[in-house]
Amino acid sequence: MTTTDTLTQADPARSGAKPMIELVGLTKRFPGTAEAAVDGLTLTVDEGEITVLVGPSGCGKTTSMELINRLIEPTSGRILIDGKDMTHTNPDELRRHIGYVIQETGLLPHRTIAQNVGTVPKLLGWDKARIAARVDELLEMVGMDPATYRGRYPKELSGGQRQRVGVARALAADPPVMLMDEPFGAIDPITRERLQNEFLRLQQQVRKTIIFVTHDIDEALKMGDRIAVLRNQSHIAQYDTPENLLTSPADDYVSDFIGTGASLKRLNLSRVRDIEMATDAPTASVSAPVAEVRAALLASSWTSLLLLDAAGRPARWVTSRDLARADQGAVLAEVGLPVEAIVEPHATLADALDELIASNVGCTVVVDGSGAYQGIVDLETIMTVVRTVRDEYERFHLAQKLAQQPADGQAR
Amino acid sequence: MADTALATRATGASDRAVPRRGGSRLSWFGMPVLLAVILGATYLWVGSLELDTIERRTLNAEQLTRSTLEHLHMTAVSTAIVIVLAIPLGVLLSRPFARPVVPAVLGVANIGQGVPSFGLITIVILWTSLGFWPMIIGLVACSMLPILRNTMVGLEQVDRTAVKASRGMGMSPLQVLLRVELPLAFPVMIAGIRTALIINVGTATLGTFFGQGGLGFIVYNGITLNRTPVLITGVVLVSALALLVDYLAGALGRLLAPRGL
Ligand SMILES: Nc1ncnc2c1ncn2[C@@H]1O[C@H](COP(=O)(O)OP(=O)(O)OP(=O)(O)O)[C@@H](O)[C@H]1O
Ligand SMILES: [Mg+2]
Repeated sequence: MTTTDTLTQADPARSGAKPMIELVGLTKRFPGTAEAAVDGLTLTVDEGEITVLVGPSGCGKTTSMELINRLIEPTSGRILIDGKDMTHTNPDELRRHIGYVIQETGLLPHRTIAQNVGTVPKLLGWDKARIAARVDELLEMVGMDPATYRGRYPKELSGGQRQRVGVARALAADPPVMLMDEPFGAIDPITRERLQNEFLRLQQQVRKTIIFVTHDIDEALKMGDRIAVLRNQSHIAQYDTPENLLTSPADDYVSDFIGTGASLKRLNLSRVRDIEMATDAPTASVSAPVAEVRAALLASSWTSLLLLDAAGRPARWVTSRDLARADQGAVLAEVGLPVEAIVEPHATLADALDELIASNVGCTVVVDGSGAYQGIVDLETIMTVVRTVRDEYERFHLAQKLAQQPADGQAR
Repeated sequence: MADTALATRATGASDRAVPRRGGSRLSWFGMPVLLAVILGATYLWVGSLELDTIERRTLNAEQLTRSTLEHLHMTAVSTAIVIVLAIPLGVLLSRPFARPVVPAVLGVANIGQGVPSFGLITIVILWTSLGFWPMIIGLVACSMLPILRNTMVGLEQVDRTAVKASRGMGMSPLQVLLRVELPLAFPVMIAGIRTALIINVGTATLGTFFGQGGLGFIVYNGITLNRTPVLITGVVLVSALALLVDYLAGALGRLLAPRGL
């Protein structure tokens, strides 16, 4: 208990930010159970941040979430949202202002996608035209064509699409606070990855205060501005930034939970936009004359050249041998290799590395939101980041140890 | 005990196909065509016979129409009442606070189902008097269980996550009931209503023994007067009516069923 308190309070990084969700000693004891499902959960989430609750199955994550929007009434403790005590307000009213993505998506099967997404606006009494416009906007936002999907029923969607609709539905009334309970749970890793990335991009626009539940530490590291590692009964083992969690786990429980490969996991924390990518790669338009393309390739130190389409999107990798084939009449747009490894700037280095390893050319192309070429990440870039990060952390730890030693000595 | 175990199974939910929109043309038009053929054939057959005066006293348009209308009247009134009683009761019993009384209520409803209808109506009439309403009470008692049980089972099988998500979005319990639970329970509930309707059409045949007429009158006349054409006409009319009513209820269920299920 005491560690929890000191961890949440004595945290210099959070000073200045405005607390949006404050949980104070939140406790739930289900009738007829020996121990509380959630015991004295105290946690502060700052405005515009994603806090991830991560812990093993049954540790009380869902219960904690449902306590916050009062689907479960707390046995004791308080919930403050934006400084206001919500513990005794009308729960239905409260919930209309907290977006909730439930663990199993929970779309209403007898309602169309548009009706599902428009549920809360309708409860809030918006007029039809406003709801319709908002629904289309949200479907667009989560990457689903409104014209195609608005009239469908949930059973006519794939699992990943349903999860998107679940997220869109939670965003519908533009609530300042969102609770997301394993929103990308039961889907395949590739789709999951994509949804995570899309969601992070979305969050950059909407800047919601979010509590995000997962039992997957990698997802936690990727999504969280702050992570609360939970033990049984929602006891907080450590509440910290992803970096600190990886570099200085509070105890064995936390380091066990993080598991092996902490340094590899750190790649999850750096994003492509934060590093220096290579921008000197030769590029040319697919419609350019072959001679011009060859000149560009020869002028560079690279062995391949990236062809871009009319919109500036990466089209193909070509080598001088491919260009020779183009000389003999092959169409430029069909020689060389297709560009397979593509990431956006908010992707993590782990994503970029993953793409890189799987790609045919050994480097990953970075594109902006519209798919236009930005730069290149190759193994060299990634290794540089890993090395500097490691050096920095080592220096930081050394400094900490040195600083602690005299203090320990005095205490004895 | 066996009865209580049975009570947890939805009538017709499994064996009677849950209504679906669309379906083949056969499923929409097969039954009306079949009924038209059977009724037409009976009409032609009876018309080809030399009827004696006794037969003619029953087999005339006026008598047949009156019996059919009496029969429909009993069926419609009893079914309407049983729907109005059993659905709200089923909803109430499916709320968490009612859990302790559920076995008792289902036990009572089981009596209606278990005791032979003839005996049940006799008991009601002995209690009260001979008449239209006592007959209706008897019919209601006989057909209560399917609707009650299917309402409860229908609500119980509603996806909990849909309910929880709806609560989580700020719907009040009443809104959740009206907008989520009842629509999702509808297919199972309509199956119960169909079963009740069939029970009522069949049991209303007994109306003649209690002075309420109905198609039972024709059948009973056919037996006591030993006139086969009368008997067969009565039986054909009762069966056709039962099938027609079931068909109409099924069609209505298909049309009203929420889409997307
Ligand atoms: N309604 C309830 N009545 C009694 N106990 C409950 C109830 N709901 C949850 N619990 C118990 O509370 C504990 C925490 O459950 P909870 O659903 O919050 O776990 P979780 O961390 O979300 O797990 P998971 O990762 O599997 O979703 C569990 O031990 C569970 O059995
Ligand atoms: Mg859970």
